[in-house]
Amino acid sequence: MHVVVCMKQVPDTTNVRINPETNTLMREGVESIINPFDEYAPEEALRLKDSCGARVTVVTMGPPQAAVVIREALARGADDGALVSSRAFGGADTLATSYTLSMAIRKLCGGKTPDLVLFGKQAIDGDTAQVGPGVSEFLEVPLVTYVKSLEVAADGAYRVTTVMDDGEQVVEGRFPAVMTVLKEAAVPRFAPLAGWMAAAKAKIEVLDEKAVDADPIRIGLKGSPTKVVTIFPPPVKGGGEKIDARGDGEKGAKAIAAFLQKKGLVK
Amino acid sequence: MIETDVLVVGAGPAGLATAIALRRKAADGRKPRVVVLDKGRSPGSHVLSGAIIDPSGFKGLLTDEEVAKMPVEAHVVKESFRSIMLPKLSVKIPWVPPMMSSKTFPVASLTKVTQYLAQIAAREGAEVYTGYAVTDLVEKDGRIVGAKTGEKGLDKNGRRKSNYLPSEEIRAKATVLAEGGCGILTERLIAEKGLQGVRSQTYAVGIKELIEVPAGTQTAGEVMHTFGYPADFTTYGGGFTYHVSETQVMVGYAYALDYRRPEIDPFRLFRRFKATAAVQRHIKGGKTVAYGAKVIPEGGFYSAPKPYYPGCLIVGDGAGLLDSLRIKGVHIALQSGVCAAEAILADDLASYETRLHATSGWREMKRVRNVRAPFSIAMPFGVMAAGLAWATFGRIPWFRLPGLGESDAAELEELKPGRLEREAANDVPSGPAMPDRLTDVFMSGTIHEEDQPCHLKIKDPARCEECERRFGSPCTRFCPAEVYRRDEGRLQIDFSNCLHCKTCRIKCPCGNIDWTFPQGGDGPRYTRM
Repeated sequence: MHVVVCMKQVPDTTNVRINPETNTLMREGVESIINPFDEYAPEEALRLKDSCGARVTVVTMGPPQAAVVIREALARGADDGALVSSRAFGGADTLATSYTLSMAIRKLCGGKTPDLVLFGKQAIDGDTAQVGPGVSEFLEVPLVTYVKSLEVAADGAYRVTTVMDDGEQVVEGRFPAVMTVLKEAAVPRFAPLAGWMAAAKAKIEVLDEKAVDADPIRIGLKGSPTKVVTIFPPPVKGGGEKIDARGDGEKGAKAIAAFLQKKGLVK
Repeated sequence: MIETDVLVVGAGPAGLATAIALRRKAADGRKPRVVVLDKGRSPGSHVLSGAIIDPSGFKGLLTDEEVAKMPVEAHVVKESFRSIMLPKLSVKIPWVPPMMSSKTFPVASLTKVTQYLAQIAAREGAEVYTGYAVTDLVEKDGRIVGAKTGEKGLDKNGRRKSNYLPSEEIRAKATVLAEGGCGILTERLIAEKGLQGVRSQTYAVGIKELIEVPAGTQTAGEVMHTFGYPADFTTYGGGFTYHVSETQVMVGYAYALDYRRPEIDPFRLFRRFKATAAVQRHIKGGKTVAYGAKVIPEGGFYSAPKPYYPGCLIVGDGAGLLDSLRIKGVHIALQSGVCAAEAILADDLASYETRLHATSGWREMKRVRNVRAPFSIAMPFGVMAAGLAWATFGRIPWFRLPGLGESDAAELEELKPGRLEREAANDVPSGPAMPDRLTDVFMSGTIHEEDQPCHLKIKDPARCEECERRFGSPCTRFCPAEVYRRDEGRLQIDFSNCLHCKTCRIKCPCGNIDWTFPQGGDGPRYTRM
């Protein structure tokens, strides 16, 4: 069984602020981190490695420093990885990114499709949740999104539980598949120090547009029909009413009740 | 088991200087394997300082080109010293001894400088791994032979979670402790092996904010040092404003932890300091964007421990290497790293101490060795001692001047009625450049996995109740991160707020707080401190 996990490096948005005058991101002092939602997919893959000996390959697309994403996955136990990186990929929207990643995955699997491709549910910078589904289209492989749990039977069939707005859904199928994984799927493991030491020395394959045989007009800015017209911060929400009832719970409860009554939410 | 030639505990300036010097000074083909571990999430995330850096520390460590490329936006162009008497009254000291001057020195974020040093160390082939707390030293036959990393993935009751990661052991021919001020392994080693200096270490807690100010209102490279208000006459306290760029000013306040009144709240003093006219001038229209705190070992020469034990060397703040007049230690930390590397490469660890004593940093510490103690009696004595040390090149007094007490924690008086209320009434109103404590804690970026054992262990809860009666639980005030609070008649510990500053370990009047390591990677996430 071969599992490919796609991960992304993103700016730590807890620290990102928007310059109110120019509406551009102020990235000063902002670290790059692994997209938090992408922590769970590799854990799911590593569990398949533990349970059925799957080979785990990690792929990320980004600038050279994004290689650290792959090293971290190797430190945790992934078998190999590749960095998809080239100036020609710059400015890619979700369509061009999906295309490029699907070409890279094909390349890494010798022209075939792997048994399973895993993604996080979305990235915290764009929040589109489109690249996983896009890759499934380009690979022509069935898609399951918002996976909460994944079981694999001995005969290679899978059974997954996905989370919907109004409930849960159980999906059964046969590989190959592309899945996007939720936080609930698995608590990520820590990388042992010895694992990091090996990962730090590992040579990481870099795939550019030639290596993945990409059509030049379908990658980077040229291959991106999405145009960002403007970026603006959402309106600042006013602070709520603060009820300080430290040391007097009864007073606090009464204040909350009065507040809800005033809003007409309780009688 | 992992084997290496040298293990460095702590990726701050001292530890990284050790690593860089080890790799650079060794002959080709004989370069030692150097492993540097740090409990912070990334290099520099637990590093905090002013910082005006005395560039003498870079000599023999970095090339001129590397020094020029350092992430420094400003150099000191205008420097003043002020004595603050009252919120609206301060006087500029008309003349200061040249040895106090830091004109032309780089003024920068030490977090950023540390990140830069980590890049150089990695380029030189040292291995820097972050997110690993080193929790124990390994000793064999009277010699330190390595260390162990902390476990990860324990739940709040200490049970193993699904992601449990066991401790790993690293064996090293030499272990270098570069933990910073009040490092836990360092303090343990000093106590167990009797490595204390002539006097025990005395600390100050340093509290700092980065404030963004409107462009065109301030001058990059302008720095001000203050002493006096809001500290009283018997406590060593001082502040600074450093304009690290045109729009960013570092504002800090250090307050000696040998203070005696239990109602003291260093964070509130920091706020009162910021509210003085002298400081307001520098932060007008500003907004606080980052926060942090750390203890400073300011005992100086007489408090420096013996920095050597078989198999193990102590560098930087952990070895008490600080010029206690200028409150500068980065340059001595860097020098100590170079000395440690030379001693290791010469295969003569014991020679570290003599090498250290030959550095310019150590000579400075010796010259001002009598400056700190008189400050704990009364400020004017300290000022006189400083003047004398300068005028006589440290020759007078030739003997060790006494200070008050030998331990910071034992100093507290009992709490007098009405004092707490009076302190609270002195607090200043909040604003964009005057955040409350929890807003500041948020801006430190500190974060701890909540489902793990509390790393601040109370040795005997009954003593906390006695402390509440006698001193009014001073931990609820001296902690700059609001970790400790009294709730429903008992002490609550919000360990997730912790900034790893170690004030509680030092100042708890009952010595009742055991500071253990939280999960590696947790703690503050400084990016611009």
